[in-house]
Amino acid sequence: MEVAINKGRFSFRGGVHPADRKELAQDQAILPGPIPSQLVVPLSQHIGQVCRPLVKKGQLVQQGELIADQDAYVSAPVHAPMAGKVKEVSLQPHPVLGRCMAVVIEVDQNSVGQADQPQLPADLDLAKYQPEKIRQDVRNAGLVGMGGAGFPTHVKLDPNPNRPHDTLIVNGCECEPYITCDYRLMVERPLKVVVGALLAAKAWGSRQIYIAIEDNKPKAIQSISNAIRAIGVEGRIEVAVLPTRYPQGGERQLIRAVTGRIVPTGGIPPMIGVLVLNVATASAIADAVVWSRPLTHRIVTVTGSAVARPANLEVPIGTPVGQLIDHCSLKHAAARVVLGGPMMGIAIADPNTPIIKTTNAIVVLGDHELRMGQQGPCIRCGRCVDACPEGLNPSLLARTVQQYAWDLAKDNFITACIECGCCSYVCPAGIELAGYIKTGKAFLARQTSKKT
Amino acid sequence: MICATFIGDLQAALPAGLLLLGVGGTLAVALLFAHQTLRVEQDPRVEAIYQVLPHLDCGACGYAGCSSYAKAVLADPTLIGRCSPGGPAVAQRLAAILSVESAGSSHPIRAVVHCNAHTMDKTYYGNYEGIASCIAGNTLTSAQACRFGCLGMGDCVRACRFDAIHMVDGLATVDYQRCTGCGACAKVCPRGIIEMVTFQQSMMMVVACNSKEDGRTTRAMCKAGCIGCGLCAKQSDIFVVSDNLSKIDYSHYRHDEGTDQAMAKCPTKVIIWRGC
Repeated sequence: MEVAINKGRFSFRGGVHPADRKELAQDQAILPGPIPSQLVVPLSQHIGQVCRPLVKKGQLVQQGELIADQDAYVSAPVHAPMAGKVKEVSLQPHPVLGRCMAVVIEVDQNSVGQADQPQLPADLDLAKYQPEKIRQDVRNAGLVGMGGAGFPTHVKLDPNPNRPHDTLIVNGCECEPYITCDYRLMVERPLKVVVGALLAAKAWGSRQIYIAIEDNKPKAIQSISNAIRAIGVEGRIEVAVLPTRYPQGGERQLIRAVTGRIVPTGGIPPMIGVLVLNVATASAIADAVVWSRPLTHRIVTVTGSAVARPANLEVPIGTPVGQLIDHCSLKHAAARVVLGGPMMGIAIADPNTPIIKTTNAIVVLGDHELRMGQQGPCIRCGRCVDACPEGLNPSLLARTVQQYAWDLAKDNFITACIECGCCSYVCPAGIELAGYIKTGKAFLARQTSKKT
Repeated sequence: MICATFIGDLQAALPAGLLLLGVGGTLAVALLFAHQTLRVEQDPRVEAIYQVLPHLDCGACGYAGCSSYAKAVLADPTLIGRCSPGGPAVAQRLAAILSVESAGSSHPIRAVVHCNAHTMDKTYYGNYEGIASCIAGNTLTSAQACRFGCLGMGDCVRACRFDAIHMVDGLATVDYQRCTGCGACAKVCPRGIIEMVTFQQSMMMVVACNSKEDGRTTRAMCKAGCIGCGLCAKQSDIFVVSDNLSKIDYSHYRHDEGTDQAMAKCPTKVIIWRGC
């Protein structure tokens, strides 16, 4: 039976088409990263409650040993990525939070074992994994959404009995420019992605599975289709080939493009019976359930015009960003180091910032790739309105933030912004629209959290 | 001749004039009637209270403006001390109007910035070129090394309605001649380094740092940071050291020999005087 290929039945409004620059790293096979001397493992790598450390200064830890946990439901435990000795538990740099409590591990250089990639067992029988067991394994492995948001996966996999739960979409769009880690994963380890998707669908109780891939990744489409055929699940998994457009991989845009359903403003996908998981998360689910391996490593793309040897590296969580950049060496001076893609990533300043579970790429940009300090006045051309995939009016929202008109900002749905950055990208006046809107969202979130 | 023309005009204008008079008279009667029957009885004290208040509508009391505060304070006299721009003087006059004992503190409330790092004291990792707002800068690590101290981009300056807080060499500095204690600056500061303190004396001792980093990191990042050594807490019990940071417990604030000793012994000199 042929693998059903769903060729973009639907689409989403707006969006942009930036140069994808994936040629820098897309042909680099996944390699083990450098062995760091010290790992900084933050206790908060997810949305939800911060973990409590379970280890003390001076204690020896094994690879994969639980080092921090939390009883709260919306939380994910943290494991030691490599064997070593706990140096301290202290405030350390964090790519998103700035500073965060972290366990610092001095890596034992003698017992360094790179995470090997075991083959799928020949007698893999998915029927023997019960939904409850899958969710438990996923929680114990400390899985979080690896696409960037970092929502604990076991919470996502827990179906709400009062809501429909019929469609699982595995997101392999990787629409951000430069990033290629998900692409390499789909090309090199497609079986794990497919098995992970099947396990996730089982845990969540959905019948239909889509693996969504943009049409600029024919090799990945081929590789995933072959894997689906190899396991013999052509009837259940459909490869959805979507047109290349940013932000195709945005959760709300993806659901619109694959199923034609619209996630209500302010709502979440499970409300309309859809669950979206990143391909890296799906692969990690397979690791966690089939081999009971905790999430200790992840694939990170090190790329950008300033990098001499772009690479896709499988690195232990907690590796300092600076060490990975040194490993790939720089061609010329870096003007910006961005964690994540250039559209939505966060510029960091401290090279000691660690890789966390949600870091998918380090993009080192040169001077010529920046557009700074040339903001002009808004000429009301409306390009940002055309580009906004959520149908908002970015220029108006930015103005409300500049003038502290918070009521007006809320009336114009500032919180519906997905921060994709399309508006800033198209603005001919170079106004940092997404930056202003993000600022406004941060302000309003702070105001709300203070009231409660 | 002229006179005759004038009289003729007057005769022509007479009906119009009478009509206007009639309309005016009717409306006057209607207004009088409305005034008598539709009158809303208002406590005269509301107006009296409103006159006493500073008419700044700053919202420090927690109400939308001075008039809604006036109504609220009449209904519940325990709210008397809430008007911080008015201070103790207004509180006393309100108490007199409502004939109750003044419930509010007799000391004014003022803003205190828990940071003393000017541009030259701080460490920067990179150049921040983003939006010039503390809220935006706080979301990025590139703005400055210290994640707890003043960012110096002036959200508090823009929030202040009394021109009482200014950026002096990268540090928010309160002008105590003008500060009314409304708390608008404390509400916008994304790092929460501005505290509203009851000034029992005209000058108050302040630990001008908010860094919860350990001493080594604080020293590496800032020349004016609290390293949490705890020397001050040994001298006087108004200092409480937790999370690598010394704080003054203002509910037990006093100024004596012990606090002077603590100030003198502080190795990084973060215990300073604020006020005027």
